[in-house]
Amino acid sequence: MTIFDPMLWLIAVRSLFQHRIRTSLLGAAIAVVTALLVSLAGIYVGMKTTLLVSATTLMSGHVNVAGFYKSTASSSAPVVTQYQKLREIVQRDVKDLDYVVQRGRGWAKLISDTGSMQVGIGGIDIVNEPGFVKVVQLKEGSLEGLKQPDGLLLFEEQAKKLDVKVGDKLTFSAPTFKGTNNTIDVTVVAIAANIGMLSSWNTYMSDTGLRQLYQLNDETTGALQIYIKDISKVRAVQESLRKAFAAEGFELMDTDPRPFFSKFDGVNRESWTGQKLDITNWEDETSFVQWFVTILTVAATTVIFVLTVIIGVGIMNVMWISIRERTREIGTLRAVGMQRRSVLAMFVTEGFLLGLMGTTVGVAIGGLASFLLNNAAIKLPKGAQLVLMSEKLIVAPTAGWVVFAVIFITSVITLISLIPSFLAARLKPISAMSHVG
Amino acid sequence: MNSIVSIRDVVKEYELGTTVVQALRGVSLEVMKGEFLSIAGPSGSGKTTLLNLIGCVDTATRGVVEVAGKDTAKLTERELTDLRLNTIGFIFQSFNLVAVLNVFQNVEFPLLLQRKLGSKERRDRVMNLLEQVGLHTHAKHRPSELSGGQRQRVAVARALVTDPLLVLADEPTANLDSATGNQIIDLMKELNQKKGTTFIFSTHDHKVMQHANAVIRLADGKVLARESAKDAVAHALSLGEAPAEAPAGARV
Ligand SMILES: Nc1ncnc2c1ncn2[C@@H]1O[C@H](COP(=O)(O)OP(=O)(O)OP(=O)(O)O)[C@@H](O)[C@H]1O
Ligand SMILES: [Mg+2]
Repeated sequence: MTIFDPMLWLIAVRSLFQHRIRTSLLGAAIAVVTALLVSLAGIYVGMKTTLLVSATTLMSGHVNVAGFYKSTASSSAPVVTQYQKLREIVQRDVKDLDYVVQRGRGWAKLISDTGSMQVGIGGIDIVNEPGFVKVVQLKEGSLEGLKQPDGLLLFEEQAKKLDVKVGDKLTFSAPTFKGTNNTIDVTVVAIAANIGMLSSWNTYMSDTGLRQLYQLNDETTGALQIYIKDISKVRAVQESLRKAFAAEGFELMDTDPRPFFSKFDGVNRESWTGQKLDITNWEDETSFVQWFVTILTVAATTVIFVLTVIIGVGIMNVMWISIRERTREIGTLRAVGMQRRSVLAMFVTEGFLLGLMGTTVGVAIGGLASFLLNNAAIKLPKGAQLVLMSEKLIVAPTAGWVVFAVIFITSVITLISLIPSFLAARLKPISAMSHVG
Repeated sequence: MNSIVSIRDVVKEYELGTTVVQALRGVSLEVMKGEFLSIAGPSGSGKTTLLNLIGCVDTATRGVVEVAGKDTAKLTERELTDLRLNTIGFIFQSFNLVAVLNVFQNVEFPLLLQRKLGSKERRDRVMNLLEQVGLHTHAKHRPSELSGGQRQRVAVARALVTDPLLVLADEPTANLDSATGNQIIDLMKELNQKKGTTFIFSTHDHKVMQHANAVIRLADGKVLARESAKDAVAHALSLGEAPAEAPAGARV
């Protein structure tokens, strides 16, 4: 008899069915572990994806083409000129490009009737921003208003602090890159749900408005944010863009994996003037996100590991006891002529079937639990909101994790059932038959 | 040449902590094909131990045990298992049914292992045997739902289902009323006469003994005598072993 023998499956199925109480207890335990694994992995994937999508959409793109323009050796502005031409090169050269957007960058004082705060400004061309619309959840107003040069989007937290609502007028005040101070009036057109720590220091307005504030020409922007279909390919894209830009005569800064705001000092100490490009990726620009992802991964892995070990040991004990109880049975089976290998194969088949049934049920429960958790829109604690850039719990069970859970847990159960049955099958039939306990 | 079991100078020792119990102390025995042999002896005399050795579920400490022409000490575990499956049928003193399988499944199991018959043939064979032991109405019952006698009959059916050359039975009628006991003995006798199946059974019951061709008398792990059934019965009666149901004339 081998494991593929239909006779063996018949015996194993029969045995599982006859031991139905034990089978259902063990099966339930396995199902619970699987469901937990699938849901936890779902939470991990859901939160990580949300975090990455939020961060890259709002702040960096997957690959970020920015740079500095220096009118004199010691004064730098974080802008790129001739962005339309750069965008054409990106569209022409980047394989598997999802989309590319241009973003203005600013840092200004925002003044309301009752207060003021220092904020970052993202200058966006809302008409050409497919990702932004999906990530930002409006509480009030509409994104349409960002088409107006004076339209401003705030997050709830900021609106509360400044005590403003949609329709209210505010003033931006910032030093231009030429050294003078400039102000413009803006109108709140939209208030969005908070997105983690971003909500405390970033606002969005139309790119045209931002150019007016800084008195920039139409060919200048803060950065090109490039989104590719497979985020793991960022380094290859960075490399190919460096070559493509260099070939078109653009000057490039050395690769430096730090966010742009850390680079001013260094750039100001260098002697060059004019435009230089700086190509980075989302990990460089949003290094804190990378840090949170690491924490999240470590936390999820620890929880899943501890859980698996605890419940794995529990299941092992039950299997062990059940097989010890079955030593007499094994002795009898051997005495009437069942080969040692067949006894093992029978237990492996039983373990395999049990694991497969348990995990299948577990996957179904885990899927359902994920669905319910998602629909319940559970609000995350404040600290977690900041870090995870999401207000609520998002659970996204993936096919990969489901397959992993089924294969991993089924293999473990199969292996566990092998050890004690191996010991029992080694006994002389008469010793096994007269075994007590 | 025509012997199916050949035992020479067999010693079986059990180790119990530091003490050694000698269950068999130099037993020699020759069983011919087609014999209907009884092993008699008081409790603890070594009947079960001897049958276990012949049935290849245990091994001798010293001496030679040959079954179906093969020296069992020289067989691999695999070959021993094959021998148990295809050549030997064993009715254990404590039945040893598989608790989780029902009556039908218990009896069918050796046929599953042999993989010679299709499911319909297996069914027919099993149901036929269950009818012969009077349990066809209990096919779906679990062993725990049966009386001792009924369990014994399931064990009998399981031992006979593969049509083995050699059937070993450890007190096959001990738990049966005399009517059922006779029925089982008749069934065994019939197989013995029609198919030439060899039977070796241990018993206390001289009514069962009297069906045997010969009786091996064991005491203290030694063969005392090999005698005819008639002598053995007389011997048993003289020792004052009260017959389960004495013939009217025998009463004083
Ligand atoms: N597993 C064992 N461990 C230790 N001693 C044993 C074991 N099995 C049997 N014995 C001893 O071996 C001797 C023979 O036992 P055996 O079971 O063969 O006797 P028996 O003739 O079958 O008795 P009964 O008529 O009560 O079934 C006894 O003294 C018994 O105590
Ligand atoms: Mg006995």
